[in-house]
Amino acid sequence: MKIISLNTEQAPPISVPMRFFAAAPLFLLLAALILMFRADNPFANIHSPALLAATHCITLGFMAMIMLGAMQQILPVVIGSPMLASRLTVWLTFLPLLSGALLLPAGFMLSKPVLINLAWPLMGLAFIAFISASLISLALSPAHNATRTAILLSILALSGAIVLGMLLAHGYATGSLLPYDKLATAHISLALGGWVLLLIVGVSYQVVPMFQLTPNYPKWLASGLAPAIFIVLLLNLLTLLLESRPYWLAIVTQGMFWFLASCFALTTLNLQSKRRRRVADATLSFFRLGMMGLMCAALFALAALFFPDTDHLGTVSAVLFLLGFAMSLMHGMLYKIVPFLVWFHLFRGGVKSGVPNLKEIIPETWKWRHLWLHRSTLLAAIFASWWNAAAWVVAFCLLMEGLLLGYALLIAISVYRRTLERIGGDSP
Amino acid sequence: MCANMAHELDVRGLPPPEPLEHIMCALQTLPVDAYLQVHIDREPYPLYDVLRDGGFDWQTIAQSDGSFSIRISRSV
Repeated sequence: MKIISLNTEQAPPISVPMRFFAAAPLFLLLAALILMFRADNPFANIHSPALLAATHCITLGFMAMIMLGAMQQILPVVIGSPMLASRLTVWLTFLPLLSGALLLPAGFMLSKPVLINLAWPLMGLAFIAFISASLISLALSPAHNATRTAILLSILALSGAIVLGMLLAHGYATGSLLPYDKLATAHISLALGGWVLLLIVGVSYQVVPMFQLTPNYPKWLASGLAPAIFIVLLLNLLTLLLESRPYWLAIVTQGMFWFLASCFALTTLNLQSKRRRRVADATLSFFRLGMMGLMCAALFALAALFFPDTDHLGTVSAVLFLLGFAMSLMHGMLYKIVPFLVWFHLFRGGVKSGVPNLKEIIPETWKWRHLWLHRSTLLAAIFASWWNAAAWVVAFCLLMEGLLLGYALLIAISVYRRTLERIGGDSP
Repeated sequence: MCANMAHELDVRGLPPPEPLEHIMCALQTLPVDAYLQVHIDREPYPLYDVLRDGGFDWQTIAQSDGSFSIRISRSV
């Protein structure tokens, strides 16, 4: 047995994570508008400026916004170590990320290097502030568990992804001669395979058993999976340094990565099948969709390795990873975290009676509608590289998703404010 | 609603925020010189803020099965 004591202030004010969450749906709207007002089908060419711009709206404006906001809350709650100087960190990350995530897609779409050259230093500032504060928080954490390890590795992967991203953006804007294909592969690998996947893995170790009432992840898997994924990512990066990489080496390293990612998805689905309360829950369905999306992304990625002349397979794998896996998980987590935050801050603020039930803060019907809408977005996106009309469906569905999520978050914020006003409290 | 008025409270297997609700409910009726022993699945970091605000001291012990035992008493 181990005695633990903790006496530091834990939870940041609710306004800290909520500003990130509230800004995120705007970028879904922006991505949808970019996909609507383009000359041809952007999914048919993965290098098209419209697809590049829409992808960065989703990865930086939507996903990073949610992940940076959630980390402000996750670090104190799951590893017991709040982010250092949370209000200062928020101002150093939120505004630069917001403006950088607007300028970068605008630079791609309008072919304006000046906008890209404004965007990447802002983005660098936002992520350097976030990475520094997170690493200090991790170093001071009293918890020494698999979640802390996975978060630490995800932050390290993010650091590499950001350096490469800034280099690529600067090179793109100035027309410098760089090995763009290799740098972009390494950037995507660290950003999605490292930062996104490892963070989701680490947070799932806590969130899945806690909120979905499943058994815990097996100890051997929880302690070994994140380091194994990180090592495979590093091996993949090392092979990129070779002058000419043997194709079999790419198959081995990428095969290992997708095998490990599928292990995580399969284990999570298996745990969810053993949950103690078998009630229908939209957030659980978002999680399941995400895990199935990850496994399908793995299948298409492996198929793409064996049929390298077909671009579409790689595009479908990327769509399944981004929209199917990562975005589904973000929606599922948001619909769990936001009501809990509202409840917790009202409860902690001394509201003894009239704190709304967790399920009443964002109506369940809205979550189910969003789930069906997101399934439609994903289905359309899978076919979009072959079928031009499907690209229009993706744009329309993303627009509706942004509106729906924004409305759901506004409902949660207004519940919080109304309850505080009723009891005469101050919002932090 | 208070689930357990005794000085021992087991909230393992309950989803958030039920453990927190049950613990705070039990603490409302805790005699001044008594303590509450809580058994919980995960270390409840958010609870510590609420305990500190409410004038309670606590000691957390990690159990070998991965759960936690928390002894909560009023600050002296």
